[in-house]
Amino acid sequence: MDRDVYVIGVGMHRFGKHDVSRRDMAYVAGMAALEDANISFRDVGTLYTGYIGGNMLDGVTYAKDFGLTGLPVIHIENASATGSSAFREAVMAISGGNCEVAMALGFDGQLRNVSAAGGPRRPTMDSNLLPAAFFAFWAVRRMHDNGTTVETFAKIAAKNWNHARFNKYAERQAEKEITPEVVLAAPMVAYPHTAMMACGAGAGAAAAIVATREVAERLAGGRPLVKVVASQMQSERYQPGHVFLGAIVGPSESTRFTANLAYQEAGLGPEDLDLVHVHDAFPIEELMYYELLGICPDGEGDRMVAEGATTIGGRIPFSTDGGLIGRGHPGGPTGLAQIWDVTQQLRGESGARQVEGAQVGLAHMMGAGSVCVVHILKREK
Amino acid sequence: MKIPVEDGYFRIPEDREASPVLLGSYSPAAKTYFWPRRKRCPVTLEPVEDRELSTEGEIYSWTFVLMPWLGSMEQDAGGGFGACQVDLPEGVRIQAPLEGQMGDWSIGQRVRLVTRTVGQDDDGNELCTIAFRLTGEGE
Repeated sequence: MDRDVYVIGVGMHRFGKHDVSRRDMAYVAGMAALEDANISFRDVGTLYTGYIGGNMLDGVTYAKDFGLTGLPVIHIENASATGSSAFREAVMAISGGNCEVAMALGFDGQLRNVSAAGGPRRPTMDSNLLPAAFFAFWAVRRMHDNGTTVETFAKIAAKNWNHARFNKYAERQAEKEITPEVVLAAPMVAYPHTAMMACGAGAGAAAAIVATREVAERLAGGRPLVKVVASQMQSERYQPGHVFLGAIVGPSESTRFTANLAYQEAGLGPEDLDLVHVHDAFPIEELMYYELLGICPDGEGDRMVAEGATTIGGRIPFSTDGGLIGRGHPGGPTGLAQIWDVTQQLRGESGARQVEGAQVGLAHMMGAGSVCVVHILKREK
Repeated sequence: MKIPVEDGYFRIPEDREASPVLLGSYSPAAKTYFWPRRKRCPVTLEPVEDRELSTEGEIYSWTFVLMPWLGSMEQDAGGGFGACQVDLPEGVRIQAPLEGQMGDWSIGQRVRLVTRTVGQDDDGNELCTIAFRLTGEGE
């Protein structure tokens, strides 16, 4: 990147099924990020709004709630990777010298009656199958090739439900610890995945503000700086068995390729990470991303689950705020919720879900279509 | 009369008992087949040729979907449906609904293409997509 970029503020509105309007959620998350950064909306040079549902004017309309400052407002949409893409555009705006402070704001209402391809629910070739089926294909094949068990999937989901118990902004707030047995007893969604293995799909909003080093240092107020050391996005490259039609987020190798670019940009490797966020819409994804991100050799993801390595307190915690399974996945704001958690973790502000001594965090998202986005954040000072 | 729900993906032969035929592409430069049709070869970016693909293949993976919406805790009144990814001999992977019930399928089984009615147009035609059926089942 041409100029160093720092996260100076993050904010959220709780994810979940509630009656708060998208506009109100966006305002709450945006104001929380501004307050966290200790700046005024007048200081923001460019705003990137990310949403999947709603109307095309929503982004620029909702921006008026913060004030009429004349700043550029751009709507970003990239399926599940919408928030991550909006964040990346904000990072690029700072890196490229376009402005000193940029804001990414993601919001979406509860998922309602949309097809797998995102459009209205009517018979088309492209909406032939749902995302739940796509990831179940991964899972059944993994069970066939590697001997992965449904208990392994249940352990991953239970972990993320339990991480969410320590995040007051998470959609799923279990009153007591969730066991793999409870996860397995839930109704089946798409074999072998049960409803408690599927991501929450409620409403929510999240925001992140990035700035130059000069601005970040001026506003730090004694807090550690959080630097964006890598921002990478890739669309698909052809792989054997490539699927072109339907609700797809593949091929899975997209993750390996994009992560390697990010590691190269950051000058870091998977061994340097202290926590990781991934597109864990279903536990098969998280399991495969252990390997595709280089956290462990191919085929050894199951052992990481068995050893509890990806639980908070383990060797490399994944989905520390609950992930898509526990925190939820409204669409637009999801990638920004990852940035919210990673930033707080690196500042040491995560309370009961804090990863001790966290210095480097990675945030990964897939967007159907498909794209892969990877960011790496690093604590400074 | 059965017609594809969208043009350009498959054709329905006049012989009603025959399988629908997928309309694919072949890249001479990459020696690779694709479905649906490509405007250019995604590997070499060179032109492609229209080709019709095999109507039978092997199950690469499968599932049984019981609920339509992510994260829903309510059962789907529809009762669910099978779905699969199938590898055709040309090296193309297709995903589509799979006829049958949980327990019927395993990886590597042979399947063939059939039509699946998903609606009706204003002229009374049956709008069809594709699905797979185990070979020897319901033949």
